[in-house]
Amino acid sequence: MSNPLRDMEKPEAIFCIGTNMTECHPVAATRLKRAVAKGARMIVADPRRIPLADYAELYLPIRIGSDVALLLAMGHVLVRDGLVDEDFVAARTKDFEAFRDHVKDFTPEWASGICQVPAADIEKAAHIYGSAGRAAIYYTLGITEHICGVDNVQSLCNLALVTGNLGREGAGINPMRGQNNIQGAGDCGAIPANFPGFQACDDPASVAKFSALYGRDIEPVRGITKVKALELAVEGEMKAMLICGENTVVSDPDRKHCEHALKSLDHLVVIDLFPTETTAMADVVLPATGWGETDGVYTNTERRVQRVRAAVPAQGEAKPDWWIISQLAKRLGLPGFEYQSARDVFDELCSVSPIYEGLDWDRIDAGAYHWPVPTKDHPGTPILHEDGFKNGRGLFRVIHYRDPAEVVDDEYPVWLTTGRRLEAYHTRTMTGRSSGIDYLLSEESLEVHPDNVAAWGLQDGGYARVTSRRGSVVMRVRADTTSPRGTVFCSFSFGDVPVNDLTGGGYDPVTFTAELKVCPVRVEAVAGA
Amino acid sequence: MSERQHTIFLDGEEVPFRDGETVYEVSERHRREVPTLCYDPRLEAFGACRLCVVEVEGLRNPVASCTTKATAGMRVNTRTDVLEAHRKTLLELVASESRAAAEAPAGAVPGTVDPLRGYASQELATLASRYEVSGERFAGAKSGHSKGADDDNPFILRDYDLCISCYRCVRVCAEREGDYAISVANRGFHTQITTEFDSKLSDSSCTFCGQCVQTCPTGALADKKALRKVDVPGELQKTRTICPYCGVGCSVDIVTKGEEIVAVQPAMDGPANEGALCIKGQFAWDHVQHGDRLKTPFVRGEDGELRPASWDEALDRAAAGFRKAYAEHGAHAIYAIASGRAPHESAYTVQKFIRAGFGTNYIDNCSRA
Amino acid sequence: MSRTVATDAEILARWKEEPAPLLPLLHAFHDRDGFLSESSIRGVAETLRIPLADLYGTITFYHFFRTFPPGKAAPRVCDGPVCKTRGADALLAALEKDGATPMPCAGRCDEPVPVLIGDTQFVGAADGSLVERETPRPAPRPDGGEECVFAHVRDPARRGIDGYLATVGYAGLRRAFCEWTPERTLEEIDASGLAGRGGAGFPTGRKWRAVAEAAGGPKTIVCNADEGEPGCFKDRVLMDHDPHATLEGMAIAARATGATRGFIYLRYEYPHTQAILENAIAEAEAHGYLGADVLGSGQEFRVYVRRGAGAYICGEETSLLNSLEGKHPFPRNRPPFPVTHGFEDTPTAVNNVETLCSVGPIVARGADWYRGLGYRGEGHGDHAGTKLVSLSGDVQRPGNYEVPIGLPLGTLIHDWAGGPREGRTVQAVTMAGLSGGFLAGDALDVTLDEPSIRAHGSFLGAAGIMVFDDSRNMVEVAAQAMSFFAHESCGKCFPCRIGTQRLTERLTGAAGPADLDAWTAEVADIGRTMKATSACGLGMAAPLVAESLVRRFASQVAAHVGEAGERGGERA
Repeated sequence: MSNPLRDMEKPEAIFCIGTNMTECHPVAATRLKRAVAKGARMIVADPRRIPLADYAELYLPIRIGSDVALLLAMGHVLVRDGLVDEDFVAARTKDFEAFRDHVKDFTPEWASGICQVPAADIEKAAHIYGSAGRAAIYYTLGITEHICGVDNVQSLCNLALVTGNLGREGAGINPMRGQNNIQGAGDCGAIPANFPGFQACDDPASVAKFSALYGRDIEPVRGITKVKALELAVEGEMKAMLICGENTVVSDPDRKHCEHALKSLDHLVVIDLFPTETTAMADVVLPATGWGETDGVYTNTERRVQRVRAAVPAQGEAKPDWWIISQLAKRLGLPGFEYQSARDVFDELCSVSPIYEGLDWDRIDAGAYHWPVPTKDHPGTPILHEDGFKNGRGLFRVIHYRDPAEVVDDEYPVWLTTGRRLEAYHTRTMTGRSSGIDYLLSEESLEVHPDNVAAWGLQDGGYARVTSRRGSVVMRVRADTTSPRGTVFCSFSFGDVPVNDLTGGGYDPVTFTAELKVCPVRVEAVAGA
Repeated sequence: MSERQHTIFLDGEEVPFRDGETVYEVSERHRREVPTLCYDPRLEAFGACRLCVVEVEGLRNPVASCTTKATAGMRVNTRTDVLEAHRKTLLELVASESRAAAEAPAGAVPGTVDPLRGYASQELATLASRYEVSGERFAGAKSGHSKGADDDNPFILRDYDLCISCYRCVRVCAEREGDYAISVANRGFHTQITTEFDSKLSDSSCTFCGQCVQTCPTGALADKKALRKVDVPGELQKTRTICPYCGVGCSVDIVTKGEEIVAVQPAMDGPANEGALCIKGQFAWDHVQHGDRLKTPFVRGEDGELRPASWDEALDRAAAGFRKAYAEHGAHAIYAIASGRAPHESAYTVQKFIRAGFGTNYIDNCSRA
Repeated sequence: MSRTVATDAEILARWKEEPAPLLPLLHAFHDRDGFLSESSIRGVAETLRIPLADLYGTITFYHFFRTFPPGKAAPRVCDGPVCKTRGADALLAALEKDGATPMPCAGRCDEPVPVLIGDTQFVGAADGSLVERETPRPAPRPDGGEECVFAHVRDPARRGIDGYLATVGYAGLRRAFCEWTPERTLEEIDASGLAGRGGAGFPTGRKWRAVAEAAGGPKTIVCNADEGEPGCFKDRVLMDHDPHATLEGMAIAARATGATRGFIYLRYEYPHTQAILENAIAEAEAHGYLGADVLGSGQEFRVYVRRGAGAYICGEETSLLNSLEGKHPFPRNRPPFPVTHGFEDTPTAVNNVETLCSVGPIVARGADWYRGLGYRGEGHGDHAGTKLVSLSGDVQRPGNYEVPIGLPLGTLIHDWAGGPREGRTVQAVTMAGLSGGFLAGDALDVTLDEPSIRAHGSFLGAAGIMVFDDSRNMVEVAAQAMSFFAHESCGKCFPCRIGTQRLTERLTGAAGPADLDAWTAEVADIGRTMKATSACGLGMAAPLVAESLVRRFASQVAAHVGEAGERGGERA
């Protein structure tokens, strides 16, 4: 997030797109609800009538995968109706003219044909967002899990730049991170493009720095993404893999492909808390300590660096991940893994990462700092870009609308979109083992509009077979007006409803994020099951 | 604008206050320990319990300090004999309407409940003890009707026999959580906290965030899961940490007895959540000590099945596989996926393992799923 | 011909965009179905964007609204303090077959026992017989003195606008809108000494000036016609027989403060009054005294009638405002006061019917004239203006009297109202309806003005006075009074919510110590804390009943505690 969570109570206008926040980030959503109670105007754009829409002044039920069209048309209205922050654009941005000329053609009427929302509502959305003194954008995977995920994000950036809603309190562009420490994993350099602290793997100075620190020459090129690595495994080039705390088989798209990939490896080591579909394929399974048993650090979605603490002893012989990996490294003869505690590891991270340089184990005790914290006397950075952008000026991008990788046709006439539910988390390794959750959510079901239930010959509470180009899954049907006619929804949380057997039609060409949000399917009634 | 700092006189002591501050807030900052039952600093002041009344010179009646703004030169007395007598009477009235308070065994402090009921559950008993409240005065009808089997949800006990109608639950649900799932039915002594049409919580707009439980000052709303651990021996300990679910990073206290987790409670001073949690953070914690946990390493045997192994054997096997792949196929045949769920120390060591071990950037995490 | 019944959608559409829509919407469904069904409640919640739990809770707060049949059609029988002595219990029993339930004092103590069936109020007798009659008009003032608000109320033509205009009606409004500046009007009201006649006694001119000077808008005038105090029925006669006087007062208030909208918050027990007021509003709009441009002044002022639904606390001005706004009718914390943050947080003057009815004559005839109406008897030269007193109970001629402020109570009871029934003596009177507790003995020598009555630990308030003769058991009267307060306590603040319950139990004997000293100590402690710490006037006043009972009827109290002690085994 560019802005801290507490800023969520401060905008005059709120634009939520592709974020089912009351279910996926419930506590953050409470802040938006409070902002609305105090008078903020909220726009919610989502294919489904999610609970957040009930709090919104304007709800835009856009067709799945049509975000870029909507955002182009909003940009069109902002430029056309003089809602441009001229001073900000002049002082802080670059390439505005190209953007201005580009959006001329993309009228709300044009977008209406793609997004399937009235042009007047698109105009209203642009006016609410563009005329507020402080306007903030919030998004989640509904924006990124598309083949055009990067385009979607850059389209949102364009809107923020054109209205000057960056680098200020109560404004900003705010992706909500879905996992407790997904931000931290990136901060720590567990990504193919960056060393710790987002120092680029193809930057010679950074390569030299880490080669020296780690005592080994590191190749000066970016690595490959997980998606690519799994492909290479299928092709026989990837031979050994270490998977730490991920049930890759269930959580990733195109499950058959994924199983095939892991089976093709010569050597698979999985570190986890529970037996999973992925540990079942491993050559070595190593038991880790989990939450409540491990000292360490998480960074949350607002870049706040916070301590986690052990409250109870490890289960059996389970060990912290850092210990396990250090032992493994030592057996391979690697130097630099002589850690005695989590503190040692974290303090080393701080010493090699400019954004953490001002931090150490003791300083983060109260969770008071948002990175970057470049020096020991730095107060942290709750709001990014206050004094300027990292690369000088905010860059407008020229974006074109593209259809999703797969679109509905006669054979697969229904849009399937996937997401989460309030009561379940990911693949239910935790929530599925917590008593009481079943009372509220005992099984997965396919959410189908009641009109479609009747039209497709389904029964509310009966079963349906859902088939995509990659696979077929049988699940219970639940009639619900949350999903619009022609679109169905289910979550990926339940192992017995492996919806990711169906997904995976395409990937964003830049990030290799899978298009989990769009999957044309066929829905047919199944007797009994 | 005058630069001079405004002050009030608090029990004769001149103390500064900030614009907009209430007399209660000033008194709290200066440790006057003014009692309250309907107050939660996160909520709009409500003025129901009247325990926080103070005397303001020039006014005939005491005023509720929680709803009275400090004004320059105000002379406030927070603890006179008259005020303390009113407070004791109020507490005895409250004690008389509550089952736990009125039926406390002889000698017990009225209002005593197990602290596992919730974060604020000890407030009434603490005040009853401080004011030496008798459970016998003002005897009469009891208020509130507990929902036993009428609400079979697994998380929130609605033990309204203990309810004292402070409405903190209703207010936290509306003002903090924004769910508006509960409200006030009837009036006067017959007031009862209700959902829409007096339904079960699961048939209402309740999302089981548990905020009502944690702000309840009597334990009338209680954590059903925690209450199953009442008989676990040991003192309650709290360990501050961060919720393991989404990326918001809510601060929580893990509540333990001995080596067993018995509850999770929100941290009221958590910067990301300010006392809020959701159903997962609040109630879905028993996976930690679940019987399914992996407790030893496993290696795949000759028969193709995983079998338990010692750490040495498993680590040797793990290392050997990487050594072999590297030797036979080179650095680009090795890959690692770090977790977005584990702490930094995990992700950092995993990436270092790849970079220091094989000189590639063949590392990713699960953010793409 | 088939009767057309409005659909849910039609009802919702009719009220959705109106100001203060919740109460009329609920009444519309309640009228149509006889009760509030789940589907209509859901429709209202969705239309007005009120959380369902909140709406459900709020509906249960009002005792008039029922969520199940027979609901509205079932008779409601007044069991107020006077009606209790006039066969209310027997009447209730006689009507039990029709599903009759009791209702608190319904404001017809001069002609008991009122029974409400649907939208019709009847006068019932103990044998179950019911007749429909107009609200009684007051008797001519016995001493022939000049009156203010009652000057023309006995004229049958006064209800219509022609009759009103024929008796100098709207002269004050015409002056305020066409001759005087708002400031001049404020000065005149200030000079008249007019103060709130609903009981609180706040100077009317000061209240209006605060609204006039407050920032923000649109400003609002609210007429408090929720005459809920037991033993008070004065506003009813004004509205029923002189409805334009209320409207004229509201319009003058609007001119003085700059308000553009007004509400009359009318208690549900006066259904016929709503029709009378709405007819008067239509007449006044047709004549240009209300509407988009009052008398060509350029100022808009519209008046809306909103019917309450049975909650005494809604006579408290901030509860009333919450009720109008569709919120739970708890009193608000003050400050801020309604003059700056009233209806929907806009500057608002809340005035009682009687206060507003005084305004037209004051502006028409001047402050000096009004001040001169005060009591001028021996040694009582300082009193200004008049006060309506609702006198009921054990007197020969109960009814409403417009008295000069400062008139001796004895003169009212004995000379004007004919004294107690034959062979009886006055044992006690209540003050301020019930809220002032009891006066008895020497205290019956008071004069009818606040300083005199406050010196005896009571207050005049809205000036409902119920007389109890020496045949009455005062502990029973006190128990009924306290159970009324317990029934009407809103439940927000602890001392009132629990205190009224505990005092009721002690006065009825349902619970409490059997030892007189312990009993007296508990009652005194509860009363002291309620008076000092309650959040609004209800809880502060309620203990006066118990306190004055203990002080003035010690032997009856001792007998009661003794008897209750003997029944001790039965206690909860």
